[in-house]
Amino acid sequence: MKSLYSSAIFLLSVFVFSSCHDEMNSSYTYRTMMPVYYEMSDIRARVITTEPAQPLDNPGKIYIYQDYLFINEPTKGIHILNNENPANPINLSFIPIAGNVDLAVNGNILYADNYVDLLAFDISNIANIKLIKRIEDVFTHMYYHQTGEIITFKDTVLTSENPNWGGEFWLMNSSMSFSANYSAASQSYGTGGSMARFTLSNEHLYAVDQSTLRVFDVKTASNPTFVKPIDLGWGIETIFPFQDKLFIGSNVGMHIYDASTPNSPTRMAVYEHVQACDPVVVNEDYAFVTLRNGTACNGVDELHVIDINDLYNPTLKKSYPMLNPHGLGLAGNFLYIAEGAHGLKSFNATDVMNIDQNQLEFLTDQKSVDLIPGPKSLIVIGPDGVCQFDYSNPAKLKKLSCIQVTNPTQFY
Amino acid sequence: MFRKAKLICIGLLFLSFKSLAQEKKYFGQTEIGILFGKSEEQWDGSRQRRFDVSFMTFHGAHITKSHVVGFSLGIDQYDEISVIPVALGWRGFLGKDDKPKLFGGLDIGGGSTILEKKIGDQWSKSWYEGGFLVSPSVGISFPSKKDKTALSFSFAYKRQQISHYWGTLIQQGSQVIKNDKLPPGYNSLTENNFLFRSFVFRAGLMF
Repeated sequence: MKSLYSSAIFLLSVFVFSSCHDEMNSSYTYRTMMPVYYEMSDIRARVITTEPAQPLDNPGKIYIYQDYLFINEPTKGIHILNNENPANPINLSFIPIAGNVDLAVNGNILYADNYVDLLAFDISNIANIKLIKRIEDVFTHMYYHQTGEIITFKDTVLTSENPNWGGEFWLMNSSMSFSANYSAASQSYGTGGSMARFTLSNEHLYAVDQSTLRVFDVKTASNPTFVKPIDLGWGIETIFPFQDKLFIGSNVGMHIYDASTPNSPTRMAVYEHVQACDPVVVNEDYAFVTLRNGTACNGVDELHVIDINDLYNPTLKKSYPMLNPHGLGLAGNFLYIAEGAHGLKSFNATDVMNIDQNQLEFLTDQKSVDLIPGPKSLIVIGPDGVCQFDYSNPAKLKKLSCIQVTNPTQFY
Repeated sequence: MFRKAKLICIGLLFLSFKSLAQEKKYFGQTEIGILFGKSEEQWDGSRQRRFDVSFMTFHGAHITKSHVVGFSLGIDQYDEISVIPVALGWRGFLGKDDKPKLFGGLDIGGGSTILEKKIGDQWSKSWYEGGFLVSPSVGISFPSKKDKTALSFSFAYKRQQISHYWGTLIQQGSQVIKNDKLPPGYNSLTENNFLFRSFVFRAGLMF
């Protein structure tokens, strides 16, 4: 017993005399946009061939073409799905395209960005898609001038013990992240959503980045040629074609461009509003713009209806408070709005002065970022996957199918 | 916060004295004391002395005449942080009955920060989480001549881990990639892990 106590006293003495100093250590875990540098020569050296179908990890933009869905996996490539039966879309194949975030389809030709290059694929044989043209160095804003390499950003979570966290990195910003933006088009082209950065109109492909509209002549679909860049000012987000006009959403307003001379669109007007993120859809008389308050947008949550009968002088007809509107779609007189984490709404927008009085449905459990009123179904893109609805009755949307994603985005 | 701590102390005292009348197999100990320590290193390399209040009760049963096992519960106040230590414990005695006895003890468990409020608004949240504790001790007890109680004086070493978290929240309208390194809904998280090492002097009653 004595030896036990001696041991206890000895141990206690060791503890006491070794140190009664407190310690503190800190760690900082934060989301950031991590810069990643690539040599374009390495990217171009990669052989792009169709691969077997892969599960959707994180869907970005979606393009409908005939019975196919082209779903972009941001910075990784494009999934191709057979959507002949919207109740049962079948994942067919995957095209690995590094740096890809945008796409558009013109006839049998798929256009996709590959960091700074534009690629054209022949998709006439969907089982054997072939790269037929690469236009180099068109999206030059990605070049990092200090090194000549391209710079891209990866959503990353870092842990640091350095209190000066942030460093050279950018704090995560939802607009800089992969973003679920989708393409729009009309006529014989494929169909996309309202949050497009690529669009086809009048035998031309228009691509916007944050400050520039780039025009490509696609008269011969298989041989796109770069025409010229047009400076738009900062904060450009989406592009939507209607007739021979281009409606370009920026975070300070909506630009209207006359594209009747397709290779040289000219600015007609700018409808300015408070700073907000804003996709646009348009019909003959009105433009519908959602203004969204988000991390990068610092604005308000509203739907603006803008009278565009005089395209040189667009005027606000009415604004409606919304919850957190993202993409929107117009099918005839019916307006569909993706309300972010709050759900999905449908309206009868015939009477633009009373849209709020004519809300037809509000699916609060359908988180949604963007939507595309397609020929067979209303395609709704949300953090949990890509869902399709029978929208023959806009007051009673009927879910047909949902493609679950393996790595759902968290959505707030 | 102090009011809550005071209420808990009173509650524990009541529990302890209530046990006085119970049979001999039961062993109880209630002590109050001071935690001495030195703060973590400041920016200039200095450390500040720390004097904190500690209250503890031990409730156990004799497994032999000289050995008791049980659990301890109490409250330690580290600066502005109230910690409730909950531990399994052992006490061993050396000496004859009716004479002053040496005793040793060991408590191993965790500290809870349940008394600390989670503070937050739409932008951020902060909270404490308790952690591991270990406390070996030695002391001497002086038996009362009137009853089975004894006065006790003890010295202990106490090692208590506490973590403080401060996180900024993801704002509405944002989309983020799921990541296991951050709790859902957080854009960033600052974690400060404190390790309090204290020398403890306590006085109290055994019964």
